[in-house]
Amino acid sequence: MAGPGGRSVTLHDALELAIVLVLVAVAVGVSLGFRLGLESQLAVAVVRALVQLAAVAAVINFVLEHPPFAALFIVVMAAAAALTSGHRLKGIPSAAGIALAAISIATALALGILFGLGVFDFVPRFLVPIAGMLIGNSMNATSVAGALLRDEIESKTLEIETRLALGVGVREALAVHVRKAVTTSLIPLIDSTKNVGLILLPGGFVGMLLGGASPAQAAQVQAIILFMLLGAVAVAGMVTVVLVARAYVATGERIVIPVR
Amino acid sequence: MDADRFPLRVESLSLARGGREVLRGIDAAFERSRVTALVGPSGAGKTSLLRCLDRLEDPDRGRVLLDGTDIRDLDPTYVRRTVAMIFQTPVLFPGGVEANLRYGMVEAVARGDVVEALGAAGLPESFAERDATALSVGQAQRVALARALIRKPEVLLLDEPTSALDKDAAAKIEETIRTLASRDLTIVLVTHNLAQARRVADTALLMVDGQIVDSGSPEQIESAWPDPAVAP
Repeated sequence: MAGPGGRSVTLHDALELAIVLVLVAVAVGVSLGFRLGLESQLAVAVVRALVQLAAVAAVINFVLEHPPFAALFIVVMAAAAALTSGHRLKGIPSAAGIALAAISIATALALGILFGLGVFDFVPRFLVPIAGMLIGNSMNATSVAGALLRDEIESKTLEIETRLALGVGVREALAVHVRKAVTTSLIPLIDSTKNVGLILLPGGFVGMLLGGASPAQAAQVQAIILFMLLGAVAVAGMVTVVLVARAYVATGERIVIPVR
Repeated sequence: MDADRFPLRVESLSLARGGREVLRGIDAAFERSRVTALVGPSGAGKTSLLRCLDRLEDPDRGRVLLDGTDIRDLDPTYVRRTVAMIFQTPVLFPGGVEANLRYGMVEAVARGDVVEALGAAGLPESFAERDATALSVGQAQRVALARALIRKPEVLLLDEPTSALDKDAAAKIEETIRTLASRDLTIVLVTHNLAQARRVADTALLMVDGQIVDSGSPEQIESAWPDPAVAP
């Protein structure tokens, strides 16, 4: 595929892609044979994937050739992630702002450590994809933790107010629900970190092997990626629950459910 | 007004929720050692008023006075230890009954305090060891009552405390409420049922559409408002 220092797209590559599309044709065949009715969805998915990958390759290529745009690209990714997550957190006062804060803080912290301490060279080639991974994973954690805490608070208002009525502070009254939300948002990544290589080979690892790296190199980079994501996801989850909890807390150690 | 005789008072209390005025200029005083019932049709604002008394809601205008002090000038956790609230549906936390009674207590609690609180709520000492999640609703409501009483409140707010209970369990709770009033507690009881107010309360305040439209003994309210849609 194209890229600075990389090879350009050749007729051979196009042929490879066409061969792989045979596998999609198999899927379409299965769908027709079993009357699953998925043919049009499969077609749309394949076309979308091709268009989106081509577009992102072009954008990243542009950014790699024009480093100042790397920062802009990262900001755009973070904003898009905040909007997506903010939509998931619908009903929470200033949901998009909360999502933006959680995603930005987690991403900035992880980028600061990785590039500040020289784990990776501070060049767009590393910065952009790593920021993308951090933003994407932080976004997921933010959506899961925030939506879960919202649902907990709104469905267990009586339980929370029972605690408040017994004279405990609002922080303590919410603690059970806050812990549950953070834990749930972290479980998928903790599990995939625990089982990495046993159940599935992560995409990054596979990609590096296919790209010609040694298994040891691939494992090392994959470990760095998993640990940085763990840290970022934990920070995103925690920032999210703190801000979401605050959105429901009113003066006088009370909770207020917004009227919709 | 005498803060000793009326530990809890409200002045010109107004509250709007979702663009609707649920309380409109409420003035009331709740007398020590008496049960005051808030009666009226559903949606009249009874529960909203009760929630303001425990500061689970902050009014838009007016104030709630506890022993003569605006509750917004007091530590909310102090307010809620002094003004205990019992909800319509009791929520007990997983664990034993005794652990439920001790929940959130900052001061030391002796076993004797647990036994005393259970007794005041009409439960035997053996209940302390019971699993809180394996009780009937009536028993759970009594444990909730004991959990409020162990905090030695001055005021007890009860929001339809018997509406989730069967007739026998409700009668026992009513009897307990009467006993508690004789022990210097100020009790405010929200009920949709004027007959219950007659059995339990000394005074009734009739609320309609966010206002107190009448007050007197439950019998007086009943005879002055024969329409059950107003005074059910």
